[in-house]
Amino acid sequence: MAEEKQESSQKEMEGVNCLAYDEAIIAQQDRIQQEIANSNPLVSDRQDLSVLQREYADDDTVYQLKIKDLHKKYSYIRKTRPDGNCFYRAFGFAHLESHLDDSKELQKFKAVASKSKLDLVNEGFTEFTIEDFHNTFMDLIELCEKQPSLQELLSSFNDQNVSDYVVVYLRLLTSGFLQREHCFFQHFIEGGRSVKEFCQQEVEPMSKESDHIHIIALAQALNVSILVEYMDRGEGGTVNHHVFPEGGDPRIFLLYRPGHYDILYK
Amino acid sequence: MENKYNLKSPAVKRLMKEAAELRDPTEHYHAQPLEDNLFEWHFSVRGPPDSDFDGGVYHGRIVLPPEYPMKPPSIILLTPNGRFEVGKKICLSISGHHPETWQPSWSIRTALIAIIGFMPTKGEGAIGSLDYTPEERRALAKKSQDFCCETCGCSMRSALLALTPNSHPSAEDHQAKELAQQINFKTESSSSRQASESGEGEATASTSTLTQGDASTSAGQEAADWPQAEQQPEAPAATGVEASQPHAAPGTGRPLSPRQRRTQQQDQQARRDSREPASRPGGAFAAAARQPQEESHAGSAVLIVVLTLALAALIFRRIYLAQEYKFDYEL
Repeated sequence: MAEEKQESSQKEMEGVNCLAYDEAIIAQQDRIQQEIANSNPLVSDRQDLSVLQREYADDDTVYQLKIKDLHKKYSYIRKTRPDGNCFYRAFGFAHLESHLDDSKELQKFKAVASKSKLDLVNEGFTEFTIEDFHNTFMDLIELCEKQPSLQELLSSFNDQNVSDYVVVYLRLLTSGFLQREHCFFQHFIEGGRSVKEFCQQEVEPMSKESDHIHIIALAQALNVSILVEYMDRGEGGTVNHHVFPEGGDPRIFLLYRPGHYDILYK
Repeated sequence: MENKYNLKSPAVKRLMKEAAELRDPTEHYHAQPLEDNLFEWHFSVRGPPDSDFDGGVYHGRIVLPPEYPMKPPSIILLTPNGRFEVGKKICLSISGHHPETWQPSWSIRTALIAIIGFMPTKGEGAIGSLDYTPEERRALAKKSQDFCCETCGCSMRSALLALTPNSHPSAEDHQAKELAQQINFKTESSSSRQASESGEGEATASTSTLTQGDASTSAGQEAADWPQAEQQPEAPAATGVEASQPHAAPGTGRPLSPRQRRTQQQDQQARRDSREPASRPGGAFAAAARQPQEESHAGSAVLIVVLTLALAALIFRRIYLAQEYKFDYEL
């Protein structure tokens, strides 16, 4: 009884102080994000794949076996900050990096990218709100045309303003493609939501994590092939991979561990 | 203003664009930055037709974070309106209270349309919400036209373009309703989803990411707590546990309009009067009988009965223990 009373008075306080609570929670989330930011660059330097081994206990056989399996195919890893935007950031960086010394492919990609804004506007996105994101994205492609050092590209991707704007634009492209092909994608959306609602809740807001459906949409929207290696606690001792869209010839390799994507190199 | 700000800052660039886009008032809304601060705007919106806010024009502030548009604006109303509290940040999922659902491709215009679309929806105890009666809202709508903002010098009579007689319910009005529905839907579904997903988070390796998961759990819980927090204040008032206290003001968690408060006080007075003659025990049943007309109190009545029984059981147990009766608990 006393407990119950206490509980109710606590609830009441929440009612009165919920404004303060709300702000306290937002502040706490900001602090946590700051902490993650301080310990993880947005996109890291390329590291030897053996760093993965040290992340798991020696007797964690499931992961140690899978890491060994991964070693057969890949030699390096580049990590991204675990902030919910990692798929887009990893994709954006890996894709542009793979085009640094291939100007022919880069020109093709530039054409696709520059036309993409018009497609979004035709779909009903407000031009003046998306053009800053598009411009940042195009600026980065133009930077790549000048064949900069890898370090220059890396520092652009570690500039929070630039990097986040690229993420926003990739999210917009994903959302645009899902909505364009809504008849198809509707079948894969859970919870009785429309494709548009799904995009507004799970694609366009920052920090929302990505799933298969996001990857398929972005790969198709930009006509790029992506390979994802899946490494989780499942039995079997080997990592499974998946190519998006199926049958493509991927140049980008991502490592997925539950909730997070990093970049892999052969 | 141009030379005061760093034009390379994405927020400044974007806000300049939005200021140009919103320069001229429309029939339904207008917003501009203050002369000396690009990051604080004042806006005026017309109350939606076919609602209690018809004929009203409402004024407020929009405060933009330095990270805009990556982080959402905060919206504060300055005109009394009966739907949103005055001077408090309001809780739309498009505003700073729900940074997790804001989209960087939304703009101040989206926020204005959302406010209009949200006015006729139910407050339901959300932060900064009011549930005034239709009459009071209509009276406030009429009065709102007299409002003049001291900060930006805006008069509500001339803030917006006059409605033309043949302007039938516009596309914008429709847009507003649609947006409000979407946003409404989102607030409902996101809290439950957040709670269920929070266990997974981004967490794999580092401990700091694990705490992130925790944080979103607490956020989810808090969101889930709101409806309860809203009901809770009514419970103690209705139980009559504090019946001896003259004013057990109900609904402390939910702001009431002056008139609602008045009627409530009268109500309580009447209840106290009627209780005088029949104020002998059986408290719970009396409490339940006191407001038979209100269905919403049926739940609390049941709660009262249960609690009373529990209390009685405890007392009896105490007595039995004191008198050292032996009870065979193992059946």
